[in-house]
Amino acid sequence: MEDRIRTPHDEAEELLPWYATGQLDADERSRLEAHLSECADCRSQLSIERRMVEQFQALTPEVNEGWARLRRRIEAPVAPRRRPIAEAAAEFWHILTRPAVAALATAQVAFVAFAATTLPSMTAPAYQALSSAPAPSSANVIVMFRPEATEFDIRGALNATGASLVGGPTPANAYLLHVPEKARATALAKLRDDDEVTLAEPIDGVAS
Amino acid sequence: MARRPRTGDARPSGGHERELIERVIRRDMAAFEKLYRIYQPRLTRFVSTLVQRPQLVEEVLDDTMMVVWDTAESFRGTSKLSTWIFAIAYRKALRARARWPDPVEDDSLNTRVSDEPGPDHQLRHNRLHDALLAAMGSLSADHRAVVDLTYFHGLGYREIAEIMECPVDTVKTRMFHARRRLKAALPGSFEDWM
Repeated sequence: MEDRIRTPHDEAEELLPWYATGQLDADERSRLEAHLSECADCRSQLSIERRMVEQFQALTPEVNEGWARLRRRIEAPVAPRRRPIAEAAAEFWHILTRPAVAALATAQVAFVAFAATTLPSMTAPAYQALSSAPAPSSANVIVMFRPEATEFDIRGALNATGASLVGGPTPANAYLLHVPEKARATALAKLRDDDEVTLAEPIDGVAS
Repeated sequence: MARRPRTGDARPSGGHERELIERVIRRDMAAFEKLYRIYQPRLTRFVSTLVQRPQLVEEVLDDTMMVVWDTAESFRGTSKLSTWIFAIAYRKALRARARWPDPVEDDSLNTRVSDEPGPDHQLRHNRLHDALLAAMGSLSADHRAVVDLTYFHGLGYREIAEIMECPVDTVKTRMFHARRRLKAALPGSFEDWM
């Protein structure tokens, strides 16, 4: 039985957090108070527990997470929102000339050229004026995966970025995605970090 | 005299929640919205201790509340409504973790403490918060959950054991070890921040 090996001090040490939050039943509370009256160590531990409760009440990891996310976005080397075409093209070239993707380069260049000129108009609603916000269902990201990428990898990448599939795979094995506009920079950064992704670019940004 | 945490004071009474769930069983959308608004902040915080990807947190939260909506009639009232809902969220979060393990480099919880500019411009309590967050980030998800359910949500160990479907002694042991880790990770001695 556990009571044979556990002393009142052991029990008190274990229960202090719930004493501090008022969550013990009457029996436990009176046992613990009896022990507290004769154990200076537990009394000092109790003041620490009370301080912990206060600290945790004030602790807001969600704010820290939000800030960390925003800071990563600010400090990301590439800010892909509405970049000039020349800059986007330079980056495409950089990606395409990497040895790992060189074999795919021809198809990708052809596809990217096609995408930059045609896809935005294909995927945006016909009534959309240039100055209006994109409709929720229009594609705003193109992504290409390594030929070895599995369906699991692709689904994982989409889930991790909150992207929904608008179209694809195209003949060049690209996918058209929609991500919420506010989250697009983050989504692009995540996609580019994904080892299975060979290309991730905004598309309506190219068109404007 | 022991004190109750602030969240405990803000919590609606059991009777009020029971009335809400009875209305939810009758498919009362307004009652469900009230229930959602009560639980959304608490569940978001709880699930965030278990899964770190913000989208997964939202997904788990939505899935949890869908289960509440779909199976409200299966709530028997033998435990508190909050225990039932938190237990659903815990199971959903575990499943989400199994599908999507936390990214290795995700340091959102493990907030960097030491590479900030010198402490001159930082308030002491901010350093303490950073240290606590970093220490939380070093704990396992189950230890984080027990710590947060105890200190932030103000739950008793029996209720936590019910939510996490484990023996009460496991909850006590997890809390005991987690407290040791947290205290060891705090800056300076306790006298510095007491």
